[in-house]
Amino acid sequence: MLVTHKLTKKYQNFTAVDGVDLNIREGAIFGFLGHNGAGKTTTLSMLTTLLKPTSGSAEIDGIDVVKEFLKVRGMIGYLPENVRLYGDLTVWENLVFFGKLSGLRHPGDSIKEILKTLTFTEWTNAKVKTLSKGMRQRVGIAQAILHHPKVLFLDEPTSGLDPQGTLDIRNILLKVNADWGTTVFMNTHLLSEVTKICTDVGIISHGKLLIAEPLNQLEQRYSDCKSLEEIYFQIAGGNEV
Amino acid sequence: MSGRVAIAQKEWRIASRDSVFLVMAILFLIMSIASVYIGSSTKSAELKAYADIVQVARQQGGTAPAAPLIYPLEMLANIVDYIVMIGAVLAIFLGYNAFHSERENGTLRILLTHPLTQKDVVMGKLLGAIGMIGMLLAATFAFNLLLFIAVDKLVPNTEEVARLAICLVMAFTYMMMFYSGALWVSLKARDGGFAFLIMMIVWIFFSFVIPQLADTQRNYAFAISNLSGLVTKMPSETAASHLINLFSPAAQFTNLGNALLQADADNAPLRLGVLLIRQTPVILYLLGCNLALLILLFHSAKREEVLE
Repeated sequence: MLVTHKLTKKYQNFTAVDGVDLNIREGAIFGFLGHNGAGKTTTLSMLTTLLKPTSGSAEIDGIDVVKEFLKVRGMIGYLPENVRLYGDLTVWENLVFFGKLSGLRHPGDSIKEILKTLTFTEWTNAKVKTLSKGMRQRVGIAQAILHHPKVLFLDEPTSGLDPQGTLDIRNILLKVNADWGTTVFMNTHLLSEVTKICTDVGIISHGKLLIAEPLNQLEQRYSDCKSLEEIYFQIAGGNEV
Repeated sequence: MSGRVAIAQKEWRIASRDSVFLVMAILFLIMSIASVYIGSSTKSAELKAYADIVQVARQQGGTAPAAPLIYPLEMLANIVDYIVMIGAVLAIFLGYNAFHSERENGTLRILLTHPLTQKDVVMGKLLGAIGMIGMLLAATFAFNLLLFIAVDKLVPNTEEVARLAICLVMAFTYMMMFYSGALWVSLKARDGGFAFLIMMIVWIFFSFVIPQLADTQRNYAFAISNLSGLVTKMPSETAASHLINLFSPAAQFTNLGNALLQADADNAPLRLGVLLIRQTPVILYLLGCNLALLILLFHSAKREEVLE
């Protein structure tokens, strides 16, 4: 579903992403791990067509993210970190707007279905600026899945959320993945989240991909480690807390 | 196309809920209406004074002086000043934060992961502004025209309606110039407040500093010529002040607007066709400035740095 080949992004003398090779199967929930500044968001930005790679290539469902970026944009959903959406518009108006951008002619039915799934119907007419961070994050996910994307990209989706908010987001992602077979690509540094939700995991450090494989396979390989945290520090380096 | 329209509708909806924008728009409308009322009352007073003079002259067996030349549209001419001042600020207000707020809210990244190009986003925002500025100007002119008809009991003839319509189109062009400029600054600047400051400096420079420089030069030239006995009447423009004013779209629009609304003594008697031929360079100048800003805007929108 998602394949990259020597994907690289350079900014003058600094290499943010260095020759990343990924192969993520359809229906996987991929957790992309790394320290702050490791290159996670840059990789995600290239995969979501927001940044052009300096070299290398990436394909989603066989479609090149640079050459056919508009096609790719039509089949992905994306939730950036700390999204605030349009505060002066209601939840409904925000979703209608993004639904129309996704090419939905009558987004109303789809919005009702998604809001019901997210148990968010009572907030339909609330202005987004009046919502808590967790609620906004749910609206953010709603806009990303309105058009049933093939791949859903999320950048730190649970960062700064309380336990209930985190649980809600996790359940939504699992449901979307199970019901629609949507592949999920999730940037995170919350290892606990990865163990609870991800089927596959990748670790990036200083722009280089250190590992990318199914989580159970990784746990078997590092069976001497007690937790994913231990595995992560063994692979990525750094000091355990 | 539907994506652009959706963005335009969204811009419209957000602006219509922005209290600052609404207050400025209402202020613009009220001030322009008030100015027409004042202009109309002043002209009525002039006519009444003339009628009194004629009556006194007749009573004393003298000859009445020639009637003052009244151009009805002149009563609407104050609108031009309000467009130069408040209209431009309103356009800047609409544009200065257009991209910065999207970046800050994380929505620009979301927009660009939908099947849209950066040009589509710019085009959508422009369409929204075209709708808002167009509606505001149309409402202003319509209210003023109604007031003009109601107060002065004058129904404009075809040529006067055409003059008003052309003035409306040029006012729209003038305001869009400031909107496009503000949108470009918003695309480039990383801080909304800074973008607003930059645009206010630009506005002050083009609307006040350059015309004042031109005025100073004209006054100076007149004083010298007057002292040497060459000229006794203040010219409306000298070659040098004309040249200086070429750098000010505000001065160009003011001159054009006053000429169209017959508030400029030199151009008021001219038929519309003749006036338009004379004013073609100014019209092309305003359209050209707009076009240049649009090219700059779309060129900048192609670059991916707009995201960060």
